[in-house]
Amino acid sequence: MSQWLPYLFLGLLLLAVLAWWVWDAIVHRSTAEVLTPRQNRLSARTVGSQRDLGERIFGTQDWDFVLHEAPSEIQRMFQRERTVLALAWLRRTRIRTSKVMRSHVVAARQSEDVQIVMEIKLALSYLLFLILCKSLIGWVWLCGPIRTRKIVRRTLQWLASQRAAFDRLMAAVDPANHKALETGCDQETAQS
Amino acid sequence: MSYAPRNIDLEPAIADLRNRTLSRLPCAFSRLVYLASSRDLSTGRYSHDGLAFHFSENVASKAMAACHTEIFDWLLFCSLEELVVELRKYISSTEVRPGDVLRSWKHLGSYRVTIPSECDKLAAEIFTSNVKIALEILQTRQESAL
Repeated sequence: MSQWLPYLFLGLLLLAVLAWWVWDAIVHRSTAEVLTPRQNRLSARTVGSQRDLGERIFGTQDWDFVLHEAPSEIQRMFQRERTVLALAWLRRTRIRTSKVMRSHVVAARQSEDVQIVMEIKLALSYLLFLILCKSLIGWVWLCGPIRTRKIVRRTLQWLASQRAAFDRLMAAVDPANHKALETGCDQETAQS
Repeated sequence: MSYAPRNIDLEPAIADLRNRTLSRLPCAFSRLVYLASSRDLSTGRYSHDGLAFHFSENVASKAMAACHTEIFDWLLFCSLEELVVELRKYISSTEVRPGDVLRSWKHLGSYRVTIPSECDKLAAEIFTSNVKIALEILQTRQESAL
């Protein structure tokens, strides 16, 4: 029996961390933060926002070029640079989705017609998204975007399919915030 | 409703800018540097006397901003290999010694000024990072050629 105790402890620890993530991401935020994406949505079209920056960061073409054309010093520099960019992109993706989710929570709190089953499904989808996003951040941080590109690509493909389900749920539960998710919540500019 | 006449004015201004000015520059990076240097860093407005004479200062500035965005976007999404070629073409088109340009760009980070004002933060970081690596590659090639 005692041999299972470490595993039990690790399991409980993992659950506690997950619960904290959900609490931190959904509930423990101020209203001011929640309103930010709505204000930013009005901003004009910005450069680089229309195409997939994730594809640009995780694409293999540049790495193949650096691998064949540049010395090892530049290869290491490239990996460092891309790791920073990949982490920034993953964090931004997580933050954008979290902002939409938080504004949904605020809207749901004020609503008198809350559909419990839908809300639970939405929360679970979001929880799964957070776990995957955090795991990817960990993977990329540990191994860099080049070594993890296959796992990142597969996870992103899976996330895209999950996002379709998440979108449907958001559209049914909260059409206003669903629009925010579609158009992209914030357009951070280099000058801001 | 007030946007319609402005957009009608903008397209010919963009076409004029492309045909008369930008097409004469040797590469995309030269066009980017030219457009960025036509911008007043305090106001973010672009100036082009010829274009302003034919259209208006406002339309000329907007046309230049649109072209700046378009060229930046192209350079942002082109491969690193293409970016190295573009940079090499730009450096050899200047009258300064390539080694001096490379050193100056690396130390001063002058390429940061070429980023359009309304640029996504991450897009700007990707561009900066790619140019940094492209400059390193060009410098390595230059050193090994000597």
